[in-house]
Amino acid sequence: MANPRELDKRRKSVRNIRKITRTMELIATARFKKAMDRAAAATAYTDRITQLVSDLTKTGLQVSHPLLEQRERTDRAVLLVLTANRGLCGGFNGNLLRAALERWQHLRAEVPQCRLEISGKRGISGFKFRGYAPDQSYTHFEDKPTFAEVELIANRYLDEYAVGAIDRLDVVYMKYESVSRQSVSVETLLPLGSIGDSASSADSSTGGPQYDFLPSPESILEEVVPTSFKVKLFKCFLDSAVSEQIARMVAMKGATENAGELIKSLSMQYNRARQGRITSELMDLIGGVEALK
Amino acid sequence: MSESTNNSPIRCIVVTPEETVLDAGADFVALPLYDGEIGIGRHHSPMIGRLGYGELRLKSGKENQCYYVDGGFVQVVDNVISVLTNRALKAAAVDTVAASEQLAEALTRRVGGEEALAIRDRLIAQSRAQLRVGMNAK
Repeated sequence: MANPRELDKRRKSVRNIRKITRTMELIATARFKKAMDRAAAATAYTDRITQLVSDLTKTGLQVSHPLLEQRERTDRAVLLVLTANRGLCGGFNGNLLRAALERWQHLRAEVPQCRLEISGKRGISGFKFRGYAPDQSYTHFEDKPTFAEVELIANRYLDEYAVGAIDRLDVVYMKYESVSRQSVSVETLLPLGSIGDSASSADSSTGGPQYDFLPSPESILEEVVPTSFKVKLFKCFLDSAVSEQIARMVAMKGATENAGELIKSLSMQYNRARQGRITSELMDLIGGVEALK
Repeated sequence: MSESTNNSPIRCIVVTPEETVLDAGADFVALPLYDGEIGIGRHHSPMIGRLGYGELRLKSGKENQCYYVDGGFVQVVDNVISVLTNRALKAAAVDTVAASEQLAEALTRRVGGEEALAIRDRLIAQSRAQLRVGMNAK
């Protein structure tokens, strides 16, 4: 029979752990709401950019921009992996790492010169464990990535792309689909491929207002394309932040529930052990009394 | 196009990738375009334009509001002005000290090549605009 005191000790420690996981769950919930609001605000911007692009294409403008065109040869590629700085968020980092490693090995087989850039301590240590050192790492992105911070990185990519220092940029991140669904996504952001869904909206309505363009549609397009890239990259960071909080929320909820169940079973064992001890003491007493007779 | 009455105010929406900074009615809006200022009143013809760095002014009644906008685009249609910009600040919130530092740094920077020159020009225009807007608000 187990020692009741030991059992009680364990029960206490499980209770403390439950308190911690419960708090973490609440914190993650609060952060998730904030991150969600930010992501929704960013959607307002992207929607308007898409609208603007579709208005531009309605003028019959040929959409062509260096950022949109596929290069003939891809000699230099960059893989950007967005992970979390902290653990305790279920399979979030593990899933990302798995997908990123796979893509990294593919890229290395295809492209002569590859660069690896990782955001988040978990990703950095995960790749280090497998023997890859990142060429560039960021750890300052927490649950609130700001546009200014992302823009710095985006501008560097744009400049490097313009001068030919990179030919391709792939991003591995956790895409947010809905509160109950996030999936690992590997996207090629440079070359962009298309901005918005210009092809589908171009023929939808031709009766819209006739816009004046200042200075010209071409000049505006020249500005829109880099902006659209920046916003896309920013959206990746935002999605990643939201998904991380959701993953942590779910993981901690599970942990809290498990701790509750463990406490229940420990309580039962403890009560049984205590009762067993009392019974055996009684038996001893009765035995003693019987012996005296 | 919708037929709105003459009294209805223009709606001005300023969005950045991070948030919707402003969504308000106004009688008149002045915007910094890439090559100078444009004023937009009611029933302005539909327009899409490139923004420069400078001051966005909203006039509604006797009230004036000033913002600093950091480039981007403007779309005007049906008395709705949508401003898409990277950054938008209340004019009073512009950091003039940082702007003057940036200006001084940019003016003394030695550059070679067309790209670097363009970046420097952009920085100078940006910091000058910030200084102008910030000083006006004080």
